[in-house]
Amino acid sequence: MRTLILDVVGILATAGSLFIVSSGLTLVFGAMRLINVAHGSFYMLGAFVMTTVAANSAGARFWVAVAAATVVVAVLSVVVEVSVMRRIYASDHLTHLLATFAVSLIVADLALRVWGSGGRSVREPSVATGAVSLGGATFPAYDLVLIAAAFAVGLGLWLLLTRTPFGWRIRAAVDDPELLSCTGTRLSLLRTGVFMLGAALAAFAGALVSPQVTVAPGMDTAIIVSAFIVAVIGGLGSIPGAALGALIIGVAETLGASYAPSWSSSFMYLAMIAVLVMLPSGLLGRAER
Amino acid sequence: MTVGLATTLSGSLAQLGQDAERGVELAIADLNAKGGVLGKQVKLATEDNQVTPATGTANARSLVLQHKAVALFGPISSAVAAAEQTVAAQYKVPLIDFMANDAGLQTKTFSKYSLQVVPNTTMEPRAAADYLATKSAGKPITIGTFAPDYSFGHDSVSGFIDALNALHVNYKLVNQQYPPLGETNIAPFLSKLVAVAPDYVYNAQYGNDLVTFTKQAQKYNFFDKTTVIAMYGVQELGELGDQIPAGTIDFNRAPFWVMGDTVTPFVNEYKAKYGQLPPEWSLLGYTAVQTWAAGAKKAGDFDGTKVADALSGATIPTIRGNITLRSCDNQAEIPEYVGVLTDTPDQKYGVPLWQPGSAFTAPFDKISTSC
Repeated sequence: MRTLILDVVGILATAGSLFIVSSGLTLVFGAMRLINVAHGSFYMLGAFVMTTVAANSAGARFWVAVAAATVVVAVLSVVVEVSVMRRIYASDHLTHLLATFAVSLIVADLALRVWGSGGRSVREPSVATGAVSLGGATFPAYDLVLIAAAFAVGLGLWLLLTRTPFGWRIRAAVDDPELLSCTGTRLSLLRTGVFMLGAALAAFAGALVSPQVTVAPGMDTAIIVSAFIVAVIGGLGSIPGAALGALIIGVAETLGASYAPSWSSSFMYLAMIAVLVMLPSGLLGRAER
Repeated sequence: MTVGLATTLSGSLAQLGQDAERGVELAIADLNAKGGVLGKQVKLATEDNQVTPATGTANARSLVLQHKAVALFGPISSAVAAAEQTVAAQYKVPLIDFMANDAGLQTKTFSKYSLQVVPNTTMEPRAAADYLATKSAGKPITIGTFAPDYSFGHDSVSGFIDALNALHVNYKLVNQQYPPLGETNIAPFLSKLVAVAPDYVYNAQYGNDLVTFTKQAQKYNFFDKTTVIAMYGVQELGELGDQIPAGTIDFNRAPFWVMGDTVTPFVNEYKAKYGQLPPEWSLLGYTAVQTWAAGAKKAGDFDGTKVADALSGATIPTIRGNITLRSCDNQAEIPEYVGVLTDTPDQKYGVPLWQPGSAFTAPFDKISTSC
């Protein structure tokens, strides 16, 4: 029972943080067909801004810092979108990959200059400090914050996409951007908004995980691989698919750590290969038009 | 005269690379202030390998062919070091490893141009096992292991288990985990150790990975029941601040605070220049440069073959005292150090280091294997 509780909480916490960061990646791809390798950079920037604003404060400032990190990175992403992305939407995926890879390298270098090469720490909020005991198992209280945040993001995205004009336009842009532009919708503005939302989700995830990790250079490359695998398994462009993909990766890593520890890091790649062999568009994805 | 540092200066290991670079730079500055080597000023060329063996190979080649480096100072990762060794042997340039410490570097991929001035993956875990054997005093104990999933991590864990067997420690291995190097979400791996709560966990992580492990493990109250054995250095302890897990067994390749007065001038100089205490990587980097300079002086030449021949079996004066490079494999005959972490600031250095009286020096002849 103790092990089961630890596994379930661990899987949900892992899946939760992966879902938040992957949802932004898949949202941007779904609406704009843009493969954004720089998504990990927004995640890393969110964590770095978080360390600067939160310092070691464990009180209400923690939540202010999460909000600040999300907003600051969202604004920066608008600069990136207007100066780079807007000029390459019509190009092929290879151009997208190269351009966003270049952006990620530039951001990594700038981050190294601004925050240095050393690791930085953030304290968890006082409401989620320490451990929780349940059924004989002891797990970090902060895991519950990550799980709750993932549910909140999932619900928020569902409401946004199904209940708001902005969301309707995003879904319309996925189906037929040309037709949408005929209705008077400014596609460029919509794309800026979607790109900003994707970056904000990455930054939110980076800020949220900062109490659990060492915030340092390299976070961007470490997360982008996992985020892509989650998005690909779920089906690029599908938000529910990202949730499902994150859950599968959480289960694969946890089972891998249980039954084949020295092979556990291969499990998520095996999961991705297995899904792609059977369903090339991912579990809930649609074939590209 | 140019020497090359082919290390990692970006990504999750950037801090370690910078620490190494500082030690190497300081040693070169000191050499130049005293007239250089064989009357020539020494210049450093540095390239970033991004923890990739292929890039390490290209960088080592570039340093030798384009920068005309007469010696190379090695990288962080043993996998990259093995790749750079090939280039060193090809171009007959000495490669002095002071961070990468896989024992295989001086056996499987060894050439006479490879030198190692850091305790290797046999010596390091053996020292930790020696300490544990004394501490457990024959009582039955449970052991878990946690290591980065690449050659160093696996070799270090194997070395530790082999050492426990050789020392007849009464242990039961209850769980082993190998998270990827640089992995930030280690919960799936860590929760497995938490579930079995071993008496001791041997952790072969370092740098930011070790800090992440410590922070996440504390959230499980892991240190209450389990004693961790790991390689905490000045950087890691500084990043942890008031979250240092007191009572943890720490093994360290070059802890200046227990190495005696010979390193004090270096510590003071480093602190004056960089505003912080020297991490072990800086001290080892400084030693590596001193080793090469001594070889060039002994050979009376910068030629790689002559320097390598001069260094093999030689005794070199360094900031840590005289060190001898064993002639059969060019492994420096140096000890490994073990101590117990405290969260109380050290009286001399003002930051938390080791509990007074807990330092244990594992001598080379006791922890090394013979050639």
